[in-house]
Amino acid sequence: MGATEVLEALPGPDEGPGVAALLPLVRRIVHARVQDKAAAEDLVQETLVRVLAAADRVEPGMLEPYAIVTARNVVASMWKERDRHRRNVHRVVDLVPVEAPDADLLREEERGAVAAALDRLSERERRTLLAHEVAGQDTRSLGSELGLSAGAVAAQLNRSRARLRVEYLLQLQDEEPPTGRCRPVLFALSLGDRRRQRELDAARHLLECVFCAGLSEPLLERSPDAGTVVTVRIEADPDIVAARRAARELAARIGFSRTDLTLVATAVSEIARNIVRFAGRGEVVVELLEQPRPGVRVTARDVGPGIADVERALADGYSTYHGLGLGLPGARRLMDEFAVVSEVDRGTTVTMTKWKKEGTA
Amino acid sequence: MTDTGPALVSILRQGSQLIASIHTALDDTQMVRFQQDLVHQIGEHRARGVVIDVAALDVLDSFGSRTLRDIAEMARLRGAATVIVGIQPEVAFTMVTLGMDTGSVHTALDLEEGLAYLGGAGGQPSTAARARSAQRR
Repeated sequence: MGATEVLEALPGPDEGPGVAALLPLVRRIVHARVQDKAAAEDLVQETLVRVLAAADRVEPGMLEPYAIVTARNVVASMWKERDRHRRNVHRVVDLVPVEAPDADLLREEERGAVAAALDRLSERERRTLLAHEVAGQDTRSLGSELGLSAGAVAAQLNRSRARLRVEYLLQLQDEEPPTGRCRPVLFALSLGDRRRQRELDAARHLLECVFCAGLSEPLLERSPDAGTVVTVRIEADPDIVAARRAARELAARIGFSRTDLTLVATAVSEIARNIVRFAGRGEVVVELLEQPRPGVRVTARDVGPGIADVERALADGYSTYHGLGLGLPGARRLMDEFAVVSEVDRGTTVTMTKWKKEGTA
Repeated sequence: MTDTGPALVSILRQGSQLIASIHTALDDTQMVRFQQDLVHQIGEHRARGVVIDVAALDVLDSFGSRTLRDIAEMARLRGAATVIVGIQPEVAFTMVTLGMDTGSVHTALDLEEGLAYLGGAGGQPSTAARARSAQRR
């Protein structure tokens, strides 16, 4: 902060008419003695503050000499201060690490967010959660109080924790979610409930809603199926290669034959290219299936213009760019199951599955 | 190639022939750049034949196949014969399943066969091969 700002902040010009005029003088005196510009400016300010405070006690004509003496004293006391500091510096070695200046603030924010998130839970939910997590009461005795089985209490606790996570993240965001779908989707993600996520079309919502896309990351990181699902964001050409590589690696893990790996990788390549060419942005999710038998399912979603005539897009030779018109029909031939759902102006979802052949190692 | 780091493709000259090897999976942009480089170098080296080795590719999708087909056609217009070598068995299976029509492109099992083909044909596709592809149309 410059000295002028201090002066401007003072009430009325007639309170210290002479003080502003003293600024060049004080500055000259201080800067002549102190090399460090920032330190000098601090001392100038301090001098002016002192002069101002004393202005009404000092005789009118004496303000200038008073300022000169004050400036000298301020400089001298700084030197003394520094000297003492240098002599004593060895005594103040801090054995306890100094806390960052914002640590307190962050802790307060954190506590506030947790409290606010707890507030959003129902009374019963909150009481049960606190009894279990804080007081350490076990699920069996909680169950007998609530008239539930221990398993039901555990399930309820699980839901409460999931809700708490979502509310906590929302509190930190300090913003209400933009749509009514955001909360249910985030909750389903937090709970790790795949069925609920599918019903809500959570993946599409994450593509469309920037707000939830950001919040979902910490929720998805703790997802238990990290080893069997790979998601690749598709935005540009290199992502096509990344998607097909991810599909091949995942499918290889459950022992697909080399030929089938190539079929799957090629199909992924075709539909990922469609996203880049027509939609611009989307994702490819590759997941391993166990039921009804081992296989790999690829889901490609985009938020592009959609396909007006899916039947025609699935016909051979239909091409809107200078391709071979093999994208969708080609991918369909490579996979065992294939479905396209498209909504104009909302986007397209292609789901395709390849089952592992019986007897192949 | 203007890429830094390990080369994605290499184009070597041997006599009147170019040997282009693709070392790793290429994305569409890189594939198109490869096409431009190769067609350009045909003129630069006055090549009569081009061998493209795709043994390192684990996927030849519709775009990749089409680009190879285009290269062969462009090379032909520039006066060079092209032969694709090293298509992996799984890749071949997939290309047929996908429905790729690559009948007009000459292929050989490996580099040696490819060079032998170009040498034997004197840089020109054999009449038998031409008749074959004409029949298919």
